[in-house]
Amino acid sequence: MNNTETLHQRFEKVWGNLPGLGTLSAVNHTSIGRRFMMTGAVFFLIGGLLAMLARTQLALPQQNILSADVYSQVFTMHGTVMMFLFAIPILEGTAIYMIPKLIGARDLVFPRISSLGYYCYLFGGIIIMSSLFLGVAPDSGWFMYTPLSSAEFSPGPGSDFWLLGITFVEISAVAAGVELTVSILRSRAPGMTLSKMPIFCWYILAMALMIVFGFPPLILASVLLELERAAGMPFFEVAAGGDPILWQHLFWLFGHPEVYIIFLPAAGIISTIIPVFSGRPIVGYRWIVLSIILTGFISFGLWVHHMFTIGIPQLAQAFFAIASMMVAIPTAIQVFAWLATLWTGKVVYNLPMLWVFGFLIVFVCGGLTGVMLAMVPFNWQVHDTHFVVAHLHYVLVGGMFFPLIAGLYYWLPQFSGRMPSERLGRWGFWLTFIGFNATFLMMHLTGLLGMPRRVYTYEGGLGWDWLNLLSSVGGFVMAAGVAMIILDVVLHFHFGRKAKVNPWKADTLEWATGMPPTPYNFASIPNIETRHPLWEQPELTRSIPQGQHGLTEIEHGRRETYGSDAISGKLKEVMHLPTNSWWPLSAAFCLAIVCVSLLVRFYPVAIIGTIAAAACLLRWSWENGAHPAAAPVTENEPRNPPLHSRTFDGPGLWGMVITLLADGALYLSLLFGWFYLWTVSPEWAVPEESAVSLPWLTASGIFLTIAVVLYNRLVARLRRGDDSGLGSGLWLVSAVSVAHLAILLWVTVSAPLQFTELAHDAVLLVMLMFLIFHSGLSVIVTALQALRVRFGYVHKGLPYEPIVIKPLWVYSLGIFWCSLASFFLLPMAWGMS
Amino acid sequence: MKQITAHPLHLVLGLVVWSVWFVALYGGLSVACEVAPPAAEAGALTWINASLLVLTLATTGVLLLLAWASLRAAPALKSNRRFILRIAAAIYLLSALSALFIGLPVVILPPCV
Repeated sequence: MNNTETLHQRFEKVWGNLPGLGTLSAVNHTSIGRRFMMTGAVFFLIGGLLAMLARTQLALPQQNILSADVYSQVFTMHGTVMMFLFAIPILEGTAIYMIPKLIGARDLVFPRISSLGYYCYLFGGIIIMSSLFLGVAPDSGWFMYTPLSSAEFSPGPGSDFWLLGITFVEISAVAAGVELTVSILRSRAPGMTLSKMPIFCWYILAMALMIVFGFPPLILASVLLELERAAGMPFFEVAAGGDPILWQHLFWLFGHPEVYIIFLPAAGIISTIIPVFSGRPIVGYRWIVLSIILTGFISFGLWVHHMFTIGIPQLAQAFFAIASMMVAIPTAIQVFAWLATLWTGKVVYNLPMLWVFGFLIVFVCGGLTGVMLAMVPFNWQVHDTHFVVAHLHYVLVGGMFFPLIAGLYYWLPQFSGRMPSERLGRWGFWLTFIGFNATFLMMHLTGLLGMPRRVYTYEGGLGWDWLNLLSSVGGFVMAAGVAMIILDVVLHFHFGRKAKVNPWKADTLEWATGMPPTPYNFASIPNIETRHPLWEQPELTRSIPQGQHGLTEIEHGRRETYGSDAISGKLKEVMHLPTNSWWPLSAAFCLAIVCVSLLVRFYPVAIIGTIAAAACLLRWSWENGAHPAAAPVTENEPRNPPLHSRTFDGPGLWGMVITLLADGALYLSLLFGWFYLWTVSPEWAVPEESAVSLPWLTASGIFLTIAVVLYNRLVARLRRGDDSGLGSGLWLVSAVSVAHLAILLWVTVSAPLQFTELAHDAVLLVMLMFLIFHSGLSVIVTALQALRVRFGYVHKGLPYEPIVIKPLWVYSLGIFWCSLASFFLLPMAWGMS
Repeated sequence: MKQITAHPLHLVLGLVVWSVWFVALYGGLSVACEVAPPAAEAGALTWINASLLVLTLATTGVLLLLAWASLRAAPALKSNRRFILRIAAAIYLLSALSALFIGLPVVILPPCV
């Protein structure tokens, strides 16, 4: 046995998954990414089946294959499954699988979070799907407009399945968003500056940050609607001072960016594939980065274009119409960069490129109808017709599904070590492409002829008959194309010819991880000084597995990867990553119990489940820093660069800050809801006297301020290398903040809030609960740190965790005083003026 | 003006300013129309439009200034830093143009109709 084999065996021992059922405890990004993609594919097939049912029903006029009620469930579940259970998770799975391999890392920086995210997605998806099999699926559309989805018009549990299940799934999306952001910024191979990063990583960075800011408004909206349905808190009920339009604002604040959250990673696949098959670097790398950043921001400024018909002033409509047209500009920059790359390169026409060309045609058409829909008068004309359905599918199928399949064929050898069949693959493409256009090109016409969406049948003789029939036939042809792709992928595992090393002659590092890749990706991590490492240093495919580069020590048994500077890529630390664990599965399982208990309104079990989930998460957090299961202090640990838990700027701090950005987006959405109802809701009513005691609330805030000042002092001293009195200091902070929390709890419990009669009081209660949650969390994690000091896991040589928690304290303090000002002082001042 | 350094914040600052301006534009219009809507006959010549126009022009001016400063500082720097500032300059410029185009309808449309 040679040295290389011995090295790989040692790495395998440390990085491998456990055998048998133990594989459920896997946290490795390759395993988790694969699971995300496989599960997403299963949901795609279910969503496709539902689409076929809908198209069968609409094929001929006056059909009764599905009743109106079942049809509503079918199209709602089709949209929900495709958007929430297929598109986002499968792209996240792709990113989770690919990103470490592209940036020269061995894993993502929070592997256990990946695992938690996967199980939340799986359980949430199962919960939503179970509603379909129980015959009580949601039926208000994938956008769940209120009051249609409220208790009055949707009295069954359908809406509850959607709200609870989707919120559960979105925990997974936000977790992936945080993890991918920190991983891309902090764990690139040494030397890989931002300007040398593979272009796919820019797309995923933008997508991850968009998830961080875009998903919280929907999470809040779902929580509010569920509270309205389960506890009678009237956020969307006009008579009590609520407003159903608030749901639309919160939903589309998420919903529009969502389209770009789906499009950007898909465009990233295109930007990765085109240069490889053109045999040259992409034209305008800098322009593409520019357009990614522009898209990321401007797409948030378009949400009202989904609401052009609800009666907002023309001037406001003009703002959103122009913003909607402007978002086409960064997209056009990318399309021109792709065309220029193809134009100036020597293009190899094979399977992945076929899908790229399909994408270019379909997506550009979808973009053009998007610009048409941005024009207000046209939008009014085709609103709620099949034209909009056709546009949506051109953008989403063209902009996401085609690139996804291009990526699937491109990376398939990396996944299995074998090549796909060109012949079966081409059949799959042409059937899908022809079927898709037959379905949706016709639907533009059906819409222009006035056929409304969401109706389960229609009269004959209105000019819609042959168009619908053609659409349905097209749908089945497309389904045959998808079946062909599945067949190709399944068969290729057995019959595909073995792939050569780097079979497409690509430029990026994933092709140096082995085919199929090893669990640790790279036995040694090289310095990366170029944007195209495998083109300029093709020997990396040999030298990396032979262990000729950095971080080859494995005798210590830790899973390690390099941590680098976010901008310059300069080597900063060695990150030690957690190994296989049951805690993520246990925590997700407890959360699933909470979810199901809330669905069946069995609240005692929900409370027990919440406590159990919290216990799992806190126990999980215990295995951190210098804990024996993480990286115990030893004599021979690396000093230059040091282990990350021995530093002040580890990935945990970055993770905390990014998580708080998501949390802040949720808080801002709540603040928006408050101001929106206050200024716009027609029946908004304020009680004559505030139910909440302002002096006591202020007293609570003073205790919180003292706690935060004390905590910050402790951290400042720790940074100076002084840990004297650290343990007692942390206990003191906990004690002071318990006083704050006790007063806050008492103020909340004793306030005679009419939260089932007044939207005003309902929002106040949510805000108070939000503050209690954050303060409570801060107290618990600080007390845990005090305990860790006693165990020797935290001291001046191990300052990592107190520094990670500091932003949480500052944030809790910020939202407390901001809430006091916005929810109490400002309305009082307004009332007096 | 002080020389701009190649801080990565510049990659998003232009669009953050644009976002804040956009929220102020839409939020300000909505609140003003709820609190003190001017008569429909006044057309675009209202205090609301005037305020929104001033806000738009001021934001555009600031963003243009930042674009110029980034462009001026970029050539003297090393590759990675030059990369950041060149992108930042383009983002400032496009943010300024976005603000200007989106804000232009305040010149012709009445605010609350």
